[in-house]
Amino acid sequence: MLGNGIRAHADVLPGTLDLLILKAVSLGPLHGYGILLRIGQISKGALAIEQGALYPALFRLVRQGLLKASWGASENNRRAKFYQLTAAGRRRLHKETEGWNRLVAAIGTVLGTQPEEI
Amino acid sequence: MRILSTVRTFLAFVFRRPRVEREMEDELRLHLQRRADDLEQQGLSRAEAERQAQVEFGGYQRYKEECHEALGTRLFGELIVDVRYGLRQLRRSPGFTAVAVITLALGIGTNTAIFSVVNTVLLTPVHAPEPNRVVAFITTSRRGSSSSFKFPNASEIKFNLWREQTSVFQDVSGYRLDSLILTGDDQPQQARAIFVTADYFRLFGLPIAQGRTFTAEEEHPNGGSVVILSDAFWKRAFGADSQIVGKIISLSGSSYEVIGVMAGGVQTETLEPPDIWMPFPIDPNSNNQVHYFQAVGRLKPRVTIDMANAQLQRTTQEFRRKFPHALSTSRRETFIVQPMQDVLGKDVRSSLLILTGAVSFVLLIACANVANLLLVKGAGRRREIAIRIAVGASRGRIILQLLTESVLLSTAGGVFGLGLGVAGIHTLLALNPSHIPRIGPRGSNVTMDWRVLSLTLLVALITGLLFGLIPALHASRTDLNSGLKEGGAGTGSGFRQNKTRSLLVISEISLALLLLIGAGLLMRTLIALRSVNPGFDPRNVVTTRTPLDPPLAKVSGVDQIVHNVFRRLSVLPGVESAGFTRLLPLAGDFNSVPIIVVGRPLNGPSHGSARRMVVSASYFEVLKIPLIRGRLFVDADRLGAPGVAIINEAMARQFWPKGDPLDSQIFIGKGLPWLDEPARQIIGVVGDVHDNALGENPQPAVFVPAAQLSDARTAGIPVTWVIRTRAPSPSLNSAIQNELRQATGVPVPPLRSMEEVMAQSTARQDFNMLLMSIFGGSALLLAAIGVYGLMAYSVKQRTHEIGIRMALGAQKRDVFRMVIGQGLRLVLAGLAIGVAAALILTRLLSSFSHLLYGVRASDPATFVAVSLVLSGVAVLACYIPARRATKVDPMVALRYE
Repeated sequence: MLGNGIRAHADVLPGTLDLLILKAVSLGPLHGYGILLRIGQISKGALAIEQGALYPALFRLVRQGLLKASWGASENNRRAKFYQLTAAGRRRLHKETEGWNRLVAAIGTVLGTQPEEI
Repeated sequence: MRILSTVRTFLAFVFRRPRVEREMEDELRLHLQRRADDLEQQGLSRAEAERQAQVEFGGYQRYKEECHEALGTRLFGELIVDVRYGLRQLRRSPGFTAVAVITLALGIGTNTAIFSVVNTVLLTPVHAPEPNRVVAFITTSRRGSSSSFKFPNASEIKFNLWREQTSVFQDVSGYRLDSLILTGDDQPQQARAIFVTADYFRLFGLPIAQGRTFTAEEEHPNGGSVVILSDAFWKRAFGADSQIVGKIISLSGSSYEVIGVMAGGVQTETLEPPDIWMPFPIDPNSNNQVHYFQAVGRLKPRVTIDMANAQLQRTTQEFRRKFPHALSTSRRETFIVQPMQDVLGKDVRSSLLILTGAVSFVLLIACANVANLLLVKGAGRRREIAIRIAVGASRGRIILQLLTESVLLSTAGGVFGLGLGVAGIHTLLALNPSHIPRIGPRGSNVTMDWRVLSLTLLVALITGLLFGLIPALHASRTDLNSGLKEGGAGTGSGFRQNKTRSLLVISEISLALLLLIGAGLLMRTLIALRSVNPGFDPRNVVTTRTPLDPPLAKVSGVDQIVHNVFRRLSVLPGVESAGFTRLLPLAGDFNSVPIIVVGRPLNGPSHGSARRMVVSASYFEVLKIPLIRGRLFVDADRLGAPGVAIINEAMARQFWPKGDPLDSQIFIGKGLPWLDEPARQIIGVVGDVHDNALGENPQPAVFVPAAQLSDARTAGIPVTWVIRTRAPSPSLNSAIQNELRQATGVPVPPLRSMEEVMAQSTARQDFNMLLMSIFGGSALLLAAIGVYGLMAYSVKQRTHEIGIRMALGAQKRDVFRMVIGQGLRLVLAGLAIGVAAALILTRLLSSFSHLLYGVRASDPATFVAVSLVLSGVAVLACYIPARRATKVDPMVALRYE
């Protein structure tokens, strides 16, 4: 299920990886690999990230206080580091989502413009 | 916030680095395992799955580094790597490292040394609670056009007035130092006494270990004979007797009750720690105008210095109204207070500042030298740096790496310098204490505290950046192609680099010239001081000081003690003549009393003040002070005979510019209770003596025969014996000491020759000159090393060129001249800049009074001599490289390419 998603049809836009991570984690605490799976799952494999690139982003988000990390046991009882959203992270996600929607709407409007409308 | 989080990350990095590293490693590895598991489930073999997981993950190392960066720990990681790498580099070239570290240790150490003195003398707060509020009372006056003269002594009248200004001051206290003789079961011994008024203990917060301080009663005249012992004196003189409080001891013939012992380790702001504290009774109704003690006090809370001085301005006017003649209006005398800390260090501030400037020059020269060494070394490392750039290191990264190396060097230099500086200054101060205030006996107060430590570290850090920056910028500019090709063969480092190195050497030479000129001017000052004719003949004269105390000597009168001393000394073979005086010339004694000339209008300007010298009749003969007119004292000038006085030429010039002093009578110290006496007839004029300092013009002085003073005015007061011998002889000295002890009944301090006394009067100039010469010498040495290094390198670089020249017929002589000429051009450029800078900077020297004497700041002889010495040394430094250049074998040199 992830297999194809990872070798990607569309590369993730620069700067949006953080947003994707925040969204993925907002649905419940996840470990790194789980975040990748969830992004693949909710985007139906349409978005692809090089797997290693996830980790610098995670460390950065933790340092910014948007994510909280703790070690725990995974579903098959293996040690894993779980990430969850902090209050600041939740606010940021909300703000970024709004910003993103506005951007998409604006760009959509621009791209949908017909010649005679100018 | 940001800084805080960086600090936190850094601390986490330092202390939890292994854990962070392990966890990161774990997390990434677990990811790979899971991915491999999933892929295996999809049907791949385990090996295939693991390979596939790696590929999907991407560059493992790269992402790990990015993770570090995200954590903010990458920089620290690099720093540690750089430090390790740097240490390895320095270990690899021990010769270079040793030379650089020694040079830096010298530069930093001299700074540490001078700063530790500055710290103790100028920066350490006064030893008192709330030290910033402790102030000293001063009378300022204007002398000449702009210079203001500050007179730190207090009279009883002034003191009482100051003590009344309770709106701005509290705990106003007077104190004076004296020396008493403790007698008892053992040998009599000297005790340094400090007489203090009631509030002194509260002002300085001095803690009593046993007993109590003085009561208000005891502070009144005739209030009581009580004494407090210092901890050290209690142990030394009384064997730490635990029953001491309440006992009666005998000091200079009188009995005192011990009422307390001061706590140990008490610091007082006196040149030497006192042995005993005694009450200093000051009559609130006194009209004593003699300035014989110091006054200090504390600003009240919320009162500033300016507010206090405004109040004192009013006090001055009040004082002027009450005592119209006590203050000079023409010199605009005013009372002021200054922070005691400033007053304590004022005598030495200017010389310390100049020495600080001097050592920073030494450090700059050391920096230039090490920068030069690094430039040469950088040339040898071009290949290494080129490789690092080739594999992707950024320029900033290379510069950071090289700077890390130079800071490592300077830190090592700083550590050695710290030890060198502290040890060095202690040695110097022990050799020559030079009357620097506050440094304690033999400089024991000069210690390494946090200020000295942090300044040294800071200087080391800045030094490292300073000398490291230029070489690092140079090295990082390495051109990849040529760097890799040339392979560090040591050839062809560009023109630009040689220019930088030449500029460094030129600045070294100019700085060295500045220091040497400073040293030269101070040396000339000392020579000028030493060649001043003191007005007396110091050769073969020895001196020592004892009180004339009839009870201690077990005789009935002072004249008997004097008679006995003379009788005993006259039988010693080798003693030519003997006399005594209250104030020894050049020994630092100060005294000034009002003089009134009989017959002149009292309100007129023709009176004044003079130094009052009580001497034996033989004094002039012993010191060979010439009689100019009239006669000297004779045995007939004794108590009961008409009062006589002798004046010096300076007094004759000032008081009788036209008339004849020998016709006149004068009142000496009229109005001073203890000096009150009939007018004296002037019977003679003697030559001037430099009493205060060799560098100061003789002031008016009047001599009074001791034989004409009653015992009430001489008993117990110390006099200085002056004894002329046929030749210096230690055994004769101890014989004299012994006879003096027999005759006076008190311990006699070791004899000093008059030449020693003179030498000590210039101790501070000695100290300045010595330090300046050490710094100048270091600068000269460093500059010479700099010139040598540059020329040696340049000759090596030009071997090929020299080979061609010789092949084309150049003679050894021409080559030699060419190299020396190149060096000389650098030296001349350095000298020109140095002389120009010196002309500006030495004005500073002369603007501080008492620093230069008998020589102008732009003294041509000093400038020329110093320039010659410096050029000579520089040419010498060029000599070896030049010789080596002449030894170049054209065949070898040409093949060398």
